[in-house]
Amino acid sequence: MKRTYAYIISLLALISTSDIVAQKPAASEPHNGNIMAHKPAATEPPDTVVFPLAIRVGIDFAGPVIYLTDKNNLTAEGYLSADLNEKRSLLLGVGYANYKYSQYNYSYRTNGMFIRAGVDFNLLKPKTSMGKYWAGVGLHYGISVFTYEIPELSQENYWGMTTSSVPSQAHWGHFIELTPGFRAQLFGNLSLGWSLGLRKMIYSGGSKDTRPIYIPGYGLSANTFSTGINYFLVWNFRYRKINVIIKKEPPQEPDEDVTPQPNSGSGNNQKMEP
Amino acid sequence: MRSFRNLLIASILAGFFLLAYSCTPGACFDETNAYMKASLFLDSTGKQTAPDSLSLWGTGMDTSKIYDAKVSLKQAFLPLDGSSVKCKFTIMINGVYDTLTAWYSTFPHLISKECGYTFYHNLDSVHTTNHKIIKISITKNSITNQIEENIRIYY
Repeated sequence: MKRTYAYIISLLALISTSDIVAQKPAASEPHNGNIMAHKPAATEPPDTVVFPLAIRVGIDFAGPVIYLTDKNNLTAEGYLSADLNEKRSLLLGVGYANYKYSQYNYSYRTNGMFIRAGVDFNLLKPKTSMGKYWAGVGLHYGISVFTYEIPELSQENYWGMTTSSVPSQAHWGHFIELTPGFRAQLFGNLSLGWSLGLRKMIYSGGSKDTRPIYIPGYGLSANTFSTGINYFLVWNFRYRKINVIIKKEPPQEPDEDVTPQPNSGSGNNQKMEP
Repeated sequence: MRSFRNLLIASILAGFFLLAYSCTPGACFDETNAYMKASLFLDSTGKQTAPDSLSLWGTGMDTSKIYDAKVSLKQAFLPLDGSSVKCKFTIMINGVYDTLTAWYSTFPHLISKECGYTFYHNLDSVHTTNHKIIKISITKNSITNQIEENIRIYY
């Protein structure tokens, strides 16, 4: 439940940042909030912005930081992504995880590689994003190749202690994930960003009795839904620039409060029903 | 655009705090033992009926009783030995002794990360003497941590 609260709060933070971006007028926009709204001429060429497309290399630093506090949980991952246009980019991520867990009645070990591939969608307007900022969501398919073992498990009952073990076995796991996130340019070609991982298990491997507890790339697999968070340090290699046509804002109608009608008193009697 | 950067940094710090807060270990609230559940039926009526008194222990473990002159017991929970393929119980219903033997196989089963593993069983056969017990039948071979009847004892 605590983990759920954490991600809800993060999602709210994401939504709030998007709102701020959407509400912030660009300096170059014409000020059209009064009755003298600017109407572009029909022959005027459409506005464009030069949008740099980039290939990005991202390294997650949340996994190593967590490892510093929990030596039983190492995840190292990174990704390569390439912008297709100002809205979409392809992503290929790879990673490695080594997870150990033990408590009074069993111990568990797993390690393996995972890859995830898919498309990231930038929800920011090109004029706001400019290749420097990204707020959006990714849709990825993940595959994990891993081995796990239960070196020892035990249970005590009326008859005494029963012990057993499950030898190392290799499995494949499949999952899909939705990754809302945020990224901003720090300086130069370096960006910093985070993303949530909302993952749905498709296939976890293993028998139903000794199914894996943890799947590299997916996380704890007790449920068919898993959540996670990544913080990425990203290096951008800009490879091309494109001109993106910006949709012009439709000119606003004159504000009734600003243009009171003669003999209207409050100026809004046009909306009154007879 | 500076607000973007500030929000990013703030969200990263908040995220780490929340991540650390959310990584607290959970607790186990599930049943971790897989008992063989035996329902007690009065043969003359065919209805599930608690005997006046029931005692039960593992044969050879007389000093450690599972039930000791228990009254109002309609379903008995019999623990099985995961290190063996059979278990023998002495059961005393209304003061009359019988011996009940169960043959089974055992395998580990994951309950959850918090609870760990337990041992489930597959019941192959059961046998009983017939001093008080009239007959015995298997209703479900799979012995798990769920409340599901596995055998019926008619007395």
